[in-house]
Amino acid sequence: MKLPLTYNIRSVFVRWRATLATVLCTALVVAVYVVIQSLAVGLEKSSGNTGDPRNLLVVRRGATAESTSQITAEQYRIIRYVQGIERDSSGLPLASSDLSLVINVPRAGGGEANAIVRGVSPLGAVLRPQVQLTKGRWFTPGKREVVVSERLAARLAGMQIGESFKTGPVTLSVVGHFNGNRSAFDSEIWMDANEARSIFDRENYSSVLLRPESNPARERIVSQLENDKRFKLRALPEVDYYQEQIGAVKLIKILGSFLATTMSIGAVFAAMNTMYAAVGARTREIGTLRVLGYRRKSILAGFLIEGALLAFFGGVLGCIFSLIFNGWSVGTLSFETFSETVFDFRITPMLIAQGLAFSVVVGLVGSLLPAIRAARLPVISALKAT
Amino acid sequence: MSLAGFIVKNALRNKRRSFLTAGSVAISLFLFVTLQVAIREMTIPPEDVGASLRIAVRNKISLANTLPARQLTVISRMPGVAAVTPFSFFGGKFKDDDSLGFAQFAVDPEKFLQLFGEAKIPADQLEDWRRARDSCIVGKDTAKRYGLKVGDRVTLVGTIFPVDLELRIAGIYEGTIDDTNMWFHHRYLDEAMNNWGRVGMWWLRAENAEVVPDLLRRINAAFANTSAEVRAETERAFQMSFVSMWGNISLLINSICTVVVFTLALVTASTMSMAIRERFRELAVLKALGFRRHQLVACILAESFGLAFAGAIVGVGGAAILFSSGKFAFFPVFELTPRIAGLAFLIGGFLGVISMLAPAWSVSRMSVVEGLRTLD
Repeated sequence: MKLPLTYNIRSVFVRWRATLATVLCTALVVAVYVVIQSLAVGLEKSSGNTGDPRNLLVVRRGATAESTSQITAEQYRIIRYVQGIERDSSGLPLASSDLSLVINVPRAGGGEANAIVRGVSPLGAVLRPQVQLTKGRWFTPGKREVVVSERLAARLAGMQIGESFKTGPVTLSVVGHFNGNRSAFDSEIWMDANEARSIFDRENYSSVLLRPESNPARERIVSQLENDKRFKLRALPEVDYYQEQIGAVKLIKILGSFLATTMSIGAVFAAMNTMYAAVGARTREIGTLRVLGYRRKSILAGFLIEGALLAFFGGVLGCIFSLIFNGWSVGTLSFETFSETVFDFRITPMLIAQGLAFSVVVGLVGSLLPAIRAARLPVISALKAT
Repeated sequence: MSLAGFIVKNALRNKRRSFLTAGSVAISLFLFVTLQVAIREMTIPPEDVGASLRIAVRNKISLANTLPARQLTVISRMPGVAAVTPFSFFGGKFKDDDSLGFAQFAVDPEKFLQLFGEAKIPADQLEDWRRARDSCIVGKDTAKRYGLKVGDRVTLVGTIFPVDLELRIAGIYEGTIDDTNMWFHHRYLDEAMNNWGRVGMWWLRAENAEVVPDLLRRINAAFANTSAEVRAETERAFQMSFVSMWGNISLLINSICTVVVFTLALVTASTMSMAIRERFRELAVLKALGFRRHQLVACILAESFGLAFAGAIVGVGGAAILFSSGKFAFFPVFELTPRIAGLAFLIGGFLGVISMLAPAWSVSRMSVVEGLRTLD
């Protein structure tokens, strides 16, 4: 005979004071777990969301990031006129040589941040339809003008339209803001590529972004560039490149699992305490149930369900807490580019499910020993208990 | 039975609960200590001896921009400069490490010891390194981790530089705050790069601490309005410039610490009140026997404080043992400072006090009759 579920639910709330502490404790543990994992998800999404699937990115072989890659002007001329690159309406090949580099800029509210400056060729924006100008206008080459991601601008000082900032001996003025549509471009400052080369004293470009006209053309271009003995180049889909740029994700995930494991031990202890106390206080009740004909198995199952329910309520509460963070924008150091990366906490249904499952596990583990004890209580002495 | 004996007996009457309570305090304080140490590592980089005299000079635009090698003549001639070396981070990949396992720097070996004098290395190995242009020295931690010996040849695949370098290990050093780095000849890098005429940055040592502020100003001024403006700063300031790059991460970790401590308070307080409620009747009997209110409260306080503190000892002590074994290779020094340990104990003690407040309040308020009637 199974104990009715309502019995379990009501038992959980009878001793609400002790229960409340355990529920809150589980809630906090689950919240911490979900929030940290949501950071990893946010960073992954931001990297995974970057780039146009039609594009190929060409970088120096061996470079771990665009900013450490070098493409000479001569290489660019050759790459640009490789067969099979799509042409724009005026007949120019859809290819853009970019310069990506890191500059120090003051952070809003003190301190300094590293920010990526991307020098783009005129077709750079066409090749990246994700980037949309939201305010102001695009930069005019040669006029020391930049456009800044609006989300990066919010984190840095002197990046509003009309303001200007100094880097080395040069003063750059902000003439527009763009929205990178939650991609890695949200962490960038854009200006003209050749102007950036002269300002920052760079002979070479960092990368070339191009759009093959078809899939066979794409494969031909990749093999042609990678096999050319004259230059050590690597051509890969733009989206693949950005998906590789997630070294920090690993670290956040390690931090998250470490915290979750350690804190869950604490939560298990709390649940155990509560459940032992519940068993202790309800000894006579358990005896009565046994006399009424409920089997040891049912008692065991009953207490396990109670523990799981208890923690599940905590889990639900924890997920609700964590939802407060959903969509908040944060910035931290990217390990690949060594610069400020802006991304969001992303709480997905998958994470919520994980958090809830996690809480149930905590509840089951915490209530296992107390439940066994309850099931093993000898009937007679249990009935005599005070 | 003495009063102390009575308290201990009481604390241990439900051994399981006492263990669970002290255990959750221990785990949470362990977590707290670990996070605090991590955040300290991130925000207050370890300081080497001799750091106060060292000056880092880098491109004003950012660390990722190089400087022209010709600046050397200007800097080395400045009064107050004891030694100056080019300093380039090579960032090479060693073996199949998917991440950069250790840092490699190109420097001038003649100046290396004048700048980083705390490194200890046998004289013959040092001599060998100085003479052989393709040789390097490596810190003992890295040597141990990869099983490298003097005489081994290693190949570094350049990620920042478009060249691969083959180096022979001339010596193994120790004694610096971070014995993981590899040092090799800047001239060797220059050759591989076809004498590119650039360096990553300059490191120099001032003759004495008094000249440092003035020297910084003079270096900055010397290159103002050139194509490569520089920023000269003390080693400390240079390290601190990395700190703000972590962005919101330190804030995040600090908030987690707060949550951990709060959770802990919740758990301990609830168990303590559970423990007291359970023996309400007993306490009423004691009251009836003539024990005064403050004596009962003292008993409860001693018990809860004792449990929390025992937990703190286990948690903080465990962390101290774990960190001293050097298991946390990710950070160069994972050091449990007295300050952090003290803070953790303080929190432990504070918890002991807070968690007895509610039970003590109800005990001191209860009337004997009421207490004797309590069933739970």
